[in-house]
Amino acid sequence: MKTIQEEKRMSIVIVGHVDHGKSTLIGRLLYDTNSLPRDKFEEVKETCEALGREMEFGFILDHLQEEREQGITIDTAQIFFNTEKRNYVIIDAPGHREFIKNMITGASQTDAAILIVDANEGVKEQTKRHAYILKMLGLKQLIIVINKMDLVNYRKDRFIEVKEDLLNFLLRLNLGPSFTIPIVAKNGDNIAKKSENMPWYKGKTVLECLDTFQSMRKNSDKSLRFSIQDVYKINNKRILVGRVEAGVIKKGDEILILPKKKKTKVKSIEKFLENPIQGEAGESIGITIQDSLFIERGNVICKEVGDKPKVTDKIKANVFWISDREFNINERITLKLATQEVSAKVEKIEKRIDSSTLKEIETNAKNLKNNEVGVMVVKTLKPVVVDNFNYIPELGRFVFEKDNGIVAGGIITEEK
Amino acid sequence: MDHLSELESKSIYIIREAYKQFHNIAMLWSIGKDSTTLLWLCRKAFFGKIPFPILHIDTGYKFPEMIKWRDEYAKKWGLNLIVGRNEEAIKAGISPKNKLECCTALKTEALKQTITKHKFKALLLGIRRDEHGIRAKERYFSPRDLEFRWDYKNQPPELWDQYKTKQDDEEHIRVHPMLHWTEIDIWEYIKKEKIPIIPLYFAKDGKRYRSIGCKPCCLPINSKADTIDKIIQELKTTSISERSGRAQDKESAYMMQKLRSLGYM
Amino acid sequence: MIIILAIDALEYELVEKFNCQNLKQKFYGKTDISEFSQPRTIVLWSSFMTGKNKEKEILLKGKKEMWNTKFDIKDTFFSEFKNPAIFDLPGFNYNKEVHDKSRTLLKKFFEVKTEKEKEKIRKEYNKDAFDHHKKIKERFLKAIDKNHDLILGYFSVVDVIGHLNFGNNMLMRMLYKEMDDIAKKCAEKNCPLLILSDHGMKAIGKFGDHSDYGFWSLNLNKNLKTPKITDFYRIIKSLR
Repeated sequence: MKTIQEEKRMSIVIVGHVDHGKSTLIGRLLYDTNSLPRDKFEEVKETCEALGREMEFGFILDHLQEEREQGITIDTAQIFFNTEKRNYVIIDAPGHREFIKNMITGASQTDAAILIVDANEGVKEQTKRHAYILKMLGLKQLIIVINKMDLVNYRKDRFIEVKEDLLNFLLRLNLGPSFTIPIVAKNGDNIAKKSENMPWYKGKTVLECLDTFQSMRKNSDKSLRFSIQDVYKINNKRILVGRVEAGVIKKGDEILILPKKKKTKVKSIEKFLENPIQGEAGESIGITIQDSLFIERGNVICKEVGDKPKVTDKIKANVFWISDREFNINERITLKLATQEVSAKVEKIEKRIDSSTLKEIETNAKNLKNNEVGVMVVKTLKPVVVDNFNYIPELGRFVFEKDNGIVAGGIITEEK
Repeated sequence: MDHLSELESKSIYIIREAYKQFHNIAMLWSIGKDSTTLLWLCRKAFFGKIPFPILHIDTGYKFPEMIKWRDEYAKKWGLNLIVGRNEEAIKAGISPKNKLECCTALKTEALKQTITKHKFKALLLGIRRDEHGIRAKERYFSPRDLEFRWDYKNQPPELWDQYKTKQDDEEHIRVHPMLHWTEIDIWEYIKKEKIPIIPLYFAKDGKRYRSIGCKPCCLPINSKADTIDKIIQELKTTSISERSGRAQDKESAYMMQKLRSLGYM
Repeated sequence: MIIILAIDALEYELVEKFNCQNLKQKFYGKTDISEFSQPRTIVLWSSFMTGKNKEKEILLKGKKEMWNTKFDIKDTFFSEFKNPAIFDLPGFNYNKEVHDKSRTLLKKFFEVKTEKEKEKIRKEYNKDAFDHHKKIKERFLKAIDKNHDLILGYFSVVDVIGHLNFGNNMLMRMLYKEMDDIAKKCAEKNCPLLILSDHGMKAIGKFGDHSDYGFWSLNLNKNLKTPKITDFYRIIKSLR
């Protein structure tokens, strides 16, 4: 018996303009991979027939959205589907109203994305904004599907037209899709089976493309970064708990504790009922150290030898504003990066950019609004320990918090 | 790292975050397999010494085995167990005969009373995204208002392991460290870790419980799965949902009453 | 010509949720039915067509007999028109056999014990509702092409299906889309169009109970805010 443990699981997100067919694509993926009980589809089909309508796969998603918080569920289902290669889970399937903050939340937890565009309507503002967010989140595995090809008579020239239009935009973002596929989600063209209506398309189907992707690589091969979450006192041992963000930490390692650059040695790696000698990237562990130093949440451990994160109070970042509440350059804001939390000020908004057109709205701006991106210089009240986003994303990204909630996400492009 | 270790690490990270942020928290333990797994993860997060109370809402209608089992492990694991009961409602004789009223009074009300009494700021719960559709929209840190309502259409964003941390006075936060697990993951993990699980889940005389709660409202399913391996095998081939064993007739009863008053029957 | 789309149990909140533009038309809102002790279908439609609160009168007949209520055209605003066509309206000319059967099945659904039996009855119940709907829809859509000065189509499918399937978001969305498409066809006639429900619906778990307000929409501005269902007697006359 093959167990889930050996199988791989990959999470994906499906994004794009609200009417371009996300629900239908999900419905079709579930149908073609046999991932929902047949009777659910039968019910949709029967009802469509009873009402004299065309079968609509998107309706199947409503089965997954029983709006009942308490009590007993009747129609339960999962937004999971399988191919022969592995299990997929779709994060944050489309709902009634779509907010950018939900899309960001979903996409930040996934390994790959499908961006859907209507062949007839072409690239819309929302398409571009979603593409921008994928880029910002560092998602590199991307499939573009050009949907509703039936509405344009399966024409190759229209496919190429829409494709070029989008690729031009993505090029400016420096984001290259892995695949671009012409599909008809409702009929299943190029979803699980090659389309007979588009013999000119020689590429892979959506499922075949997904199967070529890799689960997000962990940063075990990089230099050590260990973020301290908390310090526990257990049975007279002082245990520093946290997560290895990158690299590997071993018993006996000579380490530096940042930002104060205190030197010490790893005495032990701690896990309940285990005696590990090391912890690798992604692992939540505890460690004890040789010397009794003052250590607190937010400290970052790296190796004494080798490359180290920067300790700085000034960073340059691209910040995506996701709150209705407009930002004013004069206000203080909280910056949260891994387990670090500091008060910060924005020294300069060099550029204010519309995330859907990439147009520069303003240079040297004083404000930043919802769905806008600011290229800015941030000054923190206390030094922070950071990396470039392209090197170690876990220490190269942060959120801004204001009045009880996250208002923006940022990636570090330069540590000054 | 293998799949289960990844799941475990992420959950432990979230549990530690919740404790660091709120301190005054509790974990809700239903004695079922999910929350027992969560309890296990909490023990791991704090090296066997969980620094917050474990909360069990006792409706008075639980399987007697559950109470015995609960007390046995609470002692064994040195838990600070708080049992929440709506004594007033139990005394008033509220019973599953009127299911709607029963759940509200003995579960929801009892939980509300306990939260108020201990002023908990956050509760750890063992819910999973795959339990049912709407859960796919849950967040790891999910605010609830005074009436325990969840405004899923307008939730705070959550990215890069940064969760909603601050809270207004009137709400508590539900923390879901196991949101990313599936029912099969749970069983695989129970097997790997040898987590003790209440025997009601294992088949006896051709029947087993797939989900447990109050005795009058739980129906066993037909099953021969008397080991974890057999349960995993069974789950891989079934297309029936997890909670279908729970009785659904409290709504039926209420609906009939309404239809009568509308003149339908 | 004036068209009235009378939709049983069309719920304001769901029209919003599924964003049915054609059902909403230009002006829309809730109706006030708080003068009635319960949102009963037969009472509400009777009061609508006569312009008078008929609750007392109808309740006196008893639970069974009330479904046989039949008002004379003289008592209704239909008599103000020369060539009215009224389809399937309770309290006037609805197909009693069909509607009786669906109530019988509903009762049976709650009486049988096993899930299997319930499922069988639900299927039959749903099928009857859809079949009936298709028939009425066909006749109604034909009639709006003819020369009537008033056409009223009564559609029960949202109510009937809703009672046993309200928790089935998929079915409800499909039904609202269906009704929205019918509204679209009516709107294409470019004449006054009133869309009205007797009451809405709210969830009892997977079932549907009547909510205590109705829905209205109109393509003309008559400054309606929260009208009573009996107000439409006067409003419709003013549309002529």
